[in-house]
Amino acid sequence: MATLGVIAVAVLLAPASAAGQDLSAAAKTTTTHKAWIPPRTADGQPDLQGVWTNNTVTPLERPKELAGKEFYAEAELQALAKKERERLTKIEDEGQPPANHSGVEGAPADDVHYDFSQFGLDRGQSKLAWNRRTSIIVGPDGKIPPLTPEARARLAEIRAKAKGHEFDGPENLTLGARCLARPNVAPLLPTAYNSNLQIVQGRGYVAIETEEIHDVRIIPTDGRPHIPKTIHQWYGDSVGHWEGNTLVIDTTNFTDLSPFRGAQNLHMIERLTRADEDTILYQFTVEDPGMWTKPWSGELPIVKIQGQLYEYACHEANYALADTLRGARVTEEQAAKKSAK
Amino acid sequence: MRTKLLVLIGLLLTAAPAWAHHAFAAEFDQSRPLKLKGTVVKWEVTNPHSWIHMDVKGDDGKVVTWMIEGGSPNNLYRLGFTKDSLPPGSEIMVEGYQAKDLSTRAVGKSVTFADGRKLFLGLQARESDPETKK
Repeated sequence: MATLGVIAVAVLLAPASAAGQDLSAAAKTTTTHKAWIPPRTADGQPDLQGVWTNNTVTPLERPKELAGKEFYAEAELQALAKKERERLTKIEDEGQPPANHSGVEGAPADDVHYDFSQFGLDRGQSKLAWNRRTSIIVGPDGKIPPLTPEARARLAEIRAKAKGHEFDGPENLTLGARCLARPNVAPLLPTAYNSNLQIVQGRGYVAIETEEIHDVRIIPTDGRPHIPKTIHQWYGDSVGHWEGNTLVIDTTNFTDLSPFRGAQNLHMIERLTRADEDTILYQFTVEDPGMWTKPWSGELPIVKIQGQLYEYACHEANYALADTLRGARVTEEQAAKKSAK
Repeated sequence: MRTKLLVLIGLLLTAAPAWAHHAFAAEFDQSRPLKLKGTVVKWEVTNPHSWIHMDVKGDDGKVVTWMIEGGSPNNLYRLGFTKDSLPPGSEIMVEGYQAKDLSTRAVGKSVTFADGRKLFLGLQARESDPETKK
């Protein structure tokens, strides 16, 4: 455990200075920034409470064309924001282009779906947490480190076994399609839409609820140890402590069905630091020696939004799951008839 | 163990685009595009998808009720839309794709009012920042 802590600290130290620069760049709107004193809860802890979003255009991994470039210059960021606005305006005027990923002009759409912007689900229609990073993952590479040979083999075997059985039964569908879990809860990463979360604090506890899909992580900060190693949970077991104005969360005890990239022994350290009235700096490090060749870290701002979280009850109206399975049965039947002829 | 493996398979199959609740192409048939004109019976404002129920009169004069899958309602609420914004009786037009199970269900690629206005757009200003933070 102590070793893990040291690794994580070492990993986080490097991005810390860069983070400082970036954050001051992100928070310079308030001229009183330097004098700003973080609020405290009634029991004297830094106050992280509120409704927030981590909706962003920043990709998790750095795009190839930005290799070696960790930050945008201010003008580049402005240009990016302009491009985003123009993209959305065009979509609102002309409708979403078909999801034709083939690159061949005029080829039929390879996916059928509703127009996201019509339902307010385009990321640009919600408040965005802008920052100058070119990827959420920090460091010169900005990429998830390579998988270990064992992990590569394990995942390849799983994929091979799954091939052709994608719609055999509900168990074969994704955790998201089954309304069970989403990969945006631990660590706190933006999701496609509704990238919103609420933080509530009580004496000795911090609770983080993510709107998608309605999960709450309850984090004790009273110094208790992790639950026994034999108990595993979708989003692991989190314990927290305060380091100055920073909430540090240590999470272990994930299930080996972890919704996070198929890792089996995930260990995660997160740091939440209130940077100004409207911003929390979020940093995380994940490691799983059986999965990745080294730990990796990311950071992004979380910004305040108006209003409340809305309920995201997912099971109740999940008609899509049954429709998908029925569709697969009909398709199989048609194929059988065709081959019988 | 079998169950565990199946669950893992499920989570690894990220065929669905990152922004989707599910793989639409598994539910709807790209080779069955359709255009429906009719009146709203009700709107289920539910997650993970909203569903518009609409009555469509066929060429034979027979009325068939279709269910149209659309987006999750949370952001529509944030942008000022409510359950009452799409009252029963509203005339709408839907372009989309029929479900693979050949039922009268479809995904509503675009949903417009009879006069051509897009159903959910232009309600209120976007929430997104007009400018990036400096």
